[in-house]
Amino acid sequence: MADGPSLSHASAMILQAIQNGHIYGYTVMEVTGLPSGTIYPALRRLEREQLIRSQGERESVAHAEQRPPRKYYKLTRSGEAALEASRRRYPLIAQLASKQEVRDT
Amino acid sequence: MNSGWLESTILRTASFLAPGARRAAWLEEWRAELWYVPRDRAARFCLGAFRDALWVRQSDSCPESPLESPASCLAFLAVIAVVSLVLAASLLTPLRLRTALWRLSPRDLPAGCMAMLVYTGVFLPVTRMVMGQAATHGCPAPWRSKLRRMLFMAAKVALIQPVMLCGLFLMILVGPVLPFAPCAIPAAWILAFRWLIADQRQRCPVCLRRLTDPIRLGAPSRTFLDWYGADSMCLRGHGLLHAPEISTSYSGSRQWVRLDASWSVLFSETAGARHP
Repeated sequence: MADGPSLSHASAMILQAIQNGHIYGYTVMEVTGLPSGTIYPALRRLEREQLIRSQGERESVAHAEQRPPRKYYKLTRSGEAALEASRRRYPLIAQLASKQEVRDT
Repeated sequence: MNSGWLESTILRTASFLAPGARRAAWLEEWRAELWYVPRDRAARFCLGAFRDALWVRQSDSCPESPLESPASCLAFLAVIAVVSLVLAASLLTPLRLRTALWRLSPRDLPAGCMAMLVYTGVFLPVTRMVMGQAATHGCPAPWRSKLRRMLFMAAKVALIQPVMLCGLFLMILVGPVLPFAPCAIPAAWILAFRWLIADQRQRCPVCLRRLTDPIRLGAPSRTFLDWYGADSMCLRGHGLLHAPEISTSYSGSRQWVRLDASWSVLFSETAGARHP
């Protein structure tokens, strides 16, 4: 498992975005501004390191809304700890994500 | 919503970089994500799929066996057949020098392979009989599945002929030097036939992929009149193969249990998550 200081800036941004409620791959991509070729492998790596966990959306919910079911992500306890540690290293991360959230709203 | 041909083509092309066992799940995941991407950004979004597919392949600690899917099995055997033909062609000159009876040219190799079918016609049914009964099916398989199985077996038998011919040439060449060679080569043929039959029996009758993840059930030393053996499954969710470790009056042979479509949800996850 990766600890806080070893987390890259991109990984910390992704964790922050997920914590802020951007739980789908594409929304994480939008809020961080990182390309899809970075986001999706990073999400897989973070999941392998047990910093996040993914879950498939219920098919019945997606079908009711006539859209394909997506995979969504949640932070694990280790992920929260790693994000907390990385905020000390990259203090602007929390601010950046929150600014994006304001822009979204 | 986004379903342009360009995006689909990019994703389909990128999917070939992902490992075969995870390809379908990977593609489904990217298609689902693409649905939410605005049209003007879709093509750029899809280009990232190449990097992701490569990452999945690189992180795949357990690559797919070359024998797992029917296509890769035939491709593997085809490579061995070509190598055997090249080796057999290179052995023709020493054969001509050693014995005057062998006046073969490389053009005669296909006919030589056909001649090997005679040995196959003798050894293969005998080996099959010795290996016992194949798996019984709860309900009869559709004729298309049966035909595919037969064609697959026929292709494997055809591709093994050059290997047998090459073995025959080696036997003739090294026979005078190594006295056990005349016995070793037919023994190797029998082993090859055993592998052909065992491989065929270890495949899903629907998709012809090799059954995997065998799970042993029961404890032979503790059970009496109780079933024990191993269960293997088809990663596509077509069914399970029960293989008893001892034959009893109630469970003498391997049994194929077909699973209906209601199981597919479980197995689509399994196929994707097989390699941690």
